[in-house]
Amino acid sequence: MANVIEMKEERKDFKEEFETTDMALFVRTSEESMNDWNRQRIVDALVRETYVDIDTAKEIARDVEDLIVTSKIKMITAPLVRELVDTKLVERGLEQARKMHTRLGMPLYDVDQLILHPNKENANVPHGPEATNLTLAERIKKEYALLSVFSQETADAHMRGDIHLHDLGFVDRPYCSGQSLEYIKRFGLSLPNSIAMAKPAKHPEVLLAHMVKFAAGLQSNFAGAIGWDSVNLFFAPYLVGLSDRDLEQLAQMMIFEFSQQAVARGGQAIFTDLNLYWEIPKHFENVPAIGPGGEKTGKNYSEYMKESQRFAWALFNVFMEGDGSGRPFFFPKPLVHITEKFFQTPGHMDFLHHICEVASAKGNTYFIFDRGETAKISECCRLSFKLDQSDLEDAKEPWKMRYCALQNVTLNLPRMAYLAKGDDTRLFSKLTEFIEVAIKAHLEKKSFIEKLLSVGERGPLALLAMNRDGSPYLRMHRASFLIGMVGLNELVQVHTGKEMHQSRQAFKFGLKVIAHMKLLVDKLSERYGMHFVLEQTPAESTAYRFAKLDLRFHSPQSGHIVKGDISKGEVYYTNSTYLNNSAVINPIERVRQEGLFHPLIEAGALTHIWLGETRPSKESLANFVIKTFQRTQNDQIAFSPEFTTCNVCNRTSRGLRSSCPYCGSQEVDGITRITGYFTKVSSWNKGKIGELHNRYRNQAYIEDQKGETVLMTG
Amino acid sequence: MELIKIFVKAKCPKCPAAKEIGMELKREGLPVLHYDLDTIDGLAEASFHSILSTPSLIIEDEEEREIVSWRGMVPTLQEVKQHLLGTHLS
Ligand SMILES: [Zn+2]
Repeated sequence: MANVIEMKEERKDFKEEFETTDMALFVRTSEESMNDWNRQRIVDALVRETYVDIDTAKEIARDVEDLIVTSKIKMITAPLVRELVDTKLVERGLEQARKMHTRLGMPLYDVDQLILHPNKENANVPHGPEATNLTLAERIKKEYALLSVFSQETADAHMRGDIHLHDLGFVDRPYCSGQSLEYIKRFGLSLPNSIAMAKPAKHPEVLLAHMVKFAAGLQSNFAGAIGWDSVNLFFAPYLVGLSDRDLEQLAQMMIFEFSQQAVARGGQAIFTDLNLYWEIPKHFENVPAIGPGGEKTGKNYSEYMKESQRFAWALFNVFMEGDGSGRPFFFPKPLVHITEKFFQTPGHMDFLHHICEVASAKGNTYFIFDRGETAKISECCRLSFKLDQSDLEDAKEPWKMRYCALQNVTLNLPRMAYLAKGDDTRLFSKLTEFIEVAIKAHLEKKSFIEKLLSVGERGPLALLAMNRDGSPYLRMHRASFLIGMVGLNELVQVHTGKEMHQSRQAFKFGLKVIAHMKLLVDKLSERYGMHFVLEQTPAESTAYRFAKLDLRFHSPQSGHIVKGDISKGEVYYTNSTYLNNSAVINPIERVRQEGLFHPLIEAGALTHIWLGETRPSKESLANFVIKTFQRTQNDQIAFSPEFTTCNVCNRTSRGLRSSCPYCGSQEVDGITRITGYFTKVSSWNKGKIGELHNRYRNQAYIEDQKGETVLMTG
Repeated sequence: MELIKIFVKAKCPKCPAAKEIGMELKREGLPVLHYDLDTIDGLAEASFHSILSTPSLIIEDEEEREIVSWRGMVPTLQEVKQHLLGTHLS
């Protein structure tokens, strides 16, 4: 035990105990080195870390030493000494000094549990040494964030559950990012702090390898999703003349590389979004293509439509097959952009049927609707950025197209309604108040990240500071700051007595709340010169956390409002601006109604269509997609089937079942979409389990017609 | 009875013309509501009707169902009246 030391003391009464090792006093130091007991070290720490004067520090050190001596403690550790010092600070009323002197960390019991047992609360993280490292680090960084990065006011608002600061365990990174393959095609892979510099790729497999490495690098610098723009198009110049077989092989490699769990940071797969286009996106038509070796090919991207389309098709062939056991791939997520030009591009109906077949069979496909002239790049679960004029300028040099969201802060909407007690004015002033706290949190995070970035390529965020094209990789002036919401439906229910799907007035009130948020964040964006935008928070655990906290603080009223099963603790609020998950509503009507909110939610929104165990025909889904594009304002839809995977025979069946239909084993696990991605149901938190029970799977709108299962659109 | 809803914004070049039509219809005793998209109520109402550009004018029935709309453009007084007349007759 190199980090344990015997405590030497001049005092006589310690002498005896000092002789035998097991009776000795130990000091564990935080530097993992052996240090003699020395009262002066308490003094030094107090003076270095807090504002207390030297005399007070000396007094405290003497007090603590006396306490140790008189209590005859057999073994002392550095945390214990620190706690004893903290007690003395509290006794003297030195609250602030105590805070500054805080030790961050975890109880022995917790660490023991963490290392030995799988984490049921947050099983998104697999169990293993790498995963426990991540959890331990996250715990400390979270405490650090709440004590040191954010002001007390912000931290308190988070702790109370007025707002939720996402990814506090990743406080020293921005939230999520979107990029272009053109960056690595042009500059190769030359990352700060890495020994080998790779020149621009000459072959498609090498480009893929660079992409995967770079994604891993980005994952360790961002908390959340890593998105890639127009992946099939930017690969296209490398694919000229490739056989079908080689193309399929490349597609397979790409999907398997990004789907492998438990090899990346903390055993988590990289949350990867692949943005795909059937057409050549308008803003890239006349852009000179970059090909093998980072050289311009002499052609524009509009001349690579064939290769681009073949690659997109091949990727969906792989999604269609699923993994080795026929399960859907959880990652990467394919996001297909449906635009006006999509419908003018030859072969679009065949492709639409192809991706709808995948949507029905495996659920992977996300349909992103870019209506009119807006071009978008999607980043996180549903974060997308509309490209403005300056972006379209950047599009001429696509490697410049790098975007990020710095942080995501979510508001507890139902909380405001409890506090407003039915009074409109109070409700809207609460809403303003909560948004202002969220803005403050964003300012605090921004200044912290800027501090880290200011050290440049020698600092902790070297990768984001690297400068290859005249500006740092992370372009702060283009960063977004997300404001999310949970439980609009319940806010409306508390305030008006009706849920949004129950009356037109209630629905309109919901729109008013979001309109207020939108107008306010626009105004504040102007005031601060920052880009605050509304986002539909995926709220995988936030919807559960807010519901639990409101049951504590706003009972009995909240007991009638939270959704799920209170007796089992499976409680939740409806995500973002969604209508009640269990409401029986024609799916196309749900898509339309939920879509009315989407133009107000700039950073992206999505409607889920739960399919349960049914598998509608590709034609009926294609029909649904086209109607959604033409007749609604909905930004994005995804169809979610459910599966059961058997842990004994490894086969996958349709629907959520308690036993395997092939071998009868009960060692099964459900698979379906939790929020913005597929995962195993056994890893879900209680709130999401409650939601899963309630999801309306559109039974009444899925029919058999001439032997075909059809999702109705009329 | 139909209701006419007009959606405008402060900084929008064609909006004064739309407002003018609204005034005229009002003078003739027709029910007209004006919405400013820079206000909460205006933006919420516009969102409800999928109005994304100004000026816009819609005519709706008692159930707030849209009978006809002009989005991002200003109809003539005549055009608006025609539709009101048409529905009255039918
Ligand atoms: Zn089985």
